[in-house]
Formats: sequence, C-alpha cells, structure tokens
Amino acid sequence: MKIVKYKKISSTSEIAKKLRPQPWTIILADEQKRGYGREQREWFSPKGGLYFTIVLPKVDIADLQVLTLLAAFSVSKTVKEKFNLETFIKMPNDVLIISSPNSRGLKLKKICGILTENVIGKDVKFSIMGIGLNTNIKSFPKDLKDIATSIEIETGRKTNNEKILLAIIDGIKNNLKTITQ
Amino acid sequence: MKFRINIKGKEYTVEISEKGKETKIKVGDKEFFFEREKREKKILIPSVSFQKRNFSKKEILAPIPGTISEVFTKEGNFIKKGDKVVALSAMKMENEIVSEFEGKVKRVLVKKDQKVKEGDTLILLE
Repeated sequence: MKIVKYKKISSTSEIAKKLRPQPWTIILADEQKRGYGREQREWFSPKGGLYFTIVLPKVDIADLQVLTLLAAFSVSKTVKEKFNLETFIKMPNDVLIISSPNSRGLKLKKICGILTENVIGKDVKFSIMGIGLNTNIKSFPKDLKDIATSIEIETGRKTNNEKILLAIIDGIKNNLKTITQ
Repeated sequence: MKFRINIKGKEYTVEISEKGKETKIKVGDKEFFFEREKREKKILIPSVSFQKRNFSKKEILAPIPGTISEVFTKEGNFIKKGDKVVALSAMKMENEIVSEFEGKVKRVLVKKDQKVKEGDTLILLE
C-alpha cells in the first residue's frame, strides 16, 4: 500500500482519476479545494479533516457496492472504537452519529461521506473510493451545521488523521478478506 | 467408368458401374449402391449453420440499471475507444461509461435524468 500525500489539492478523487495509480494506492490531502460527493455536491474540506481516495482493485460492479459498504462499516467501527461515539450507517455510503443533545433533543448528523466512482466499458476498467471524514473540524458553515458534525465537535479531542486512515484501510482489507474467504 | 475429381485440392477416384438394376458408385474406399430411381444408401450431409451475428453493429449498452446524470457526446461526433460517453448514477456510485468502439455517433438514445435498465442501448455508432 502506497500513500501519496498532498497539502492542498482540488480533490483526492480527481487526482486519482488523473494519475490512475496501482490498486490500493491512497491519495491523501490535508485540504481540498473542490471536495465533492454524489452529483458533484460540495464536500466541506478545510484543513483538519481526513480526505483520502483509495484506488480499488478490479472487481465486478456488484462487488463495488459491497466494497463501499465495507468502507462504511470500517469507518463506523473505527470512530466507535477510538472515540466511543455511537455511529449509524446510512446505506450504503454515509456515516452518521448521534450529535450532542441540545434543546431540541438528539440529532443524527453526518460525520463521513463515501463516494465510489467507476470507469466501465465491457467491464470495470478503474475504480476509486473517496472518503471524507470530519475529524479536526471546529465548526461548520451555517448551511451545514445542522446536518454535519466532526469528531472534534463531539469529543473535544484532536485526532491523528494518519492513524485513523490506517485503521480504516486495515478494516476495509480485513472485511474484504473475510467476505472473499 | 472410372475418373478422378478434385475437390478443394483433394483428389478422389470415382468408379461407376452397373449390375442389373443396381448402380454402384465407388468413391475412394466407400461404395454406394443405387437402384433405378431409388437411392439405396442415404448419404447424410451434416447441415452447417453459422450463428447470425451482426459484426457491424456498434452499440454502447448500460452495464447496470441507473439514472443518466450526464451525456458527453452528441450525434455526428467521432469517438475513440475509451472515450467517456455518459455518466450513470447507480447504486449510489458514479459511473463513467466509456466506448469500446471507435466510430461516428449515429444516435444518442438517452438524455440527462433518464432511467435506464441493464442492457439498454445508450449510444449507437456507425
């Protein structure tokens, strides 16, 4: 597994699509200028968050959806185990947590988004999975603060992004090993 | 009567002889007997047919069901193998569909936001 680090780039997935590196190469960035989710919706990507794209091995298209799910499980498990936060998977590609209670009670907020992108001809030519995890983000813009949160907001703790990244990747690989055995 | 014939480069010796009502035709070592207007031994010729295939038809099909999120080409455009032709949103994944052929776009059969089934023709090339 090779990790290619950038300080500030357009988007980790955009770079992965341009470079087309070997499977299991990780494109990691401190900050994204144009982080995006489904339908090119903007993904808030300031410095502090964990933004990376995994170049996936060649698998059938049906299995790609399973890989997305495995990634969501791995993120969910990592966040739960390391920060004792209650996580929920919004199938198949978002991870939510119960945000701190306020006057209106408990609320589910998004902490992670996963977007799998494929290039397909007769078969799958190239696949990547972009993951954005809100780790060390102190606050969100007005339009997002009711629907998004971060590990820092929820726990008051700073996170080592690279450790979290490795735990997530290990989880994905182990899950993959389990289902392919 | 004895003669030689050549079929596709292979030579056969054919011998025809008559005895009473019977006609014997000997081709190489094999003998075939016929009666007047009645075939004595049937010669079976295997029927050979080839599957009908249209090799000139170049279609780009939807590999999975989903919704067209963008069309990157139009009729009359010339596309190369590997060029992206449509973006297909499916199973919460974004998929770029690329051409496996080279050719001129004859028809674009889908538009943005259209739902497609697996196997639906998206683009026809000529």
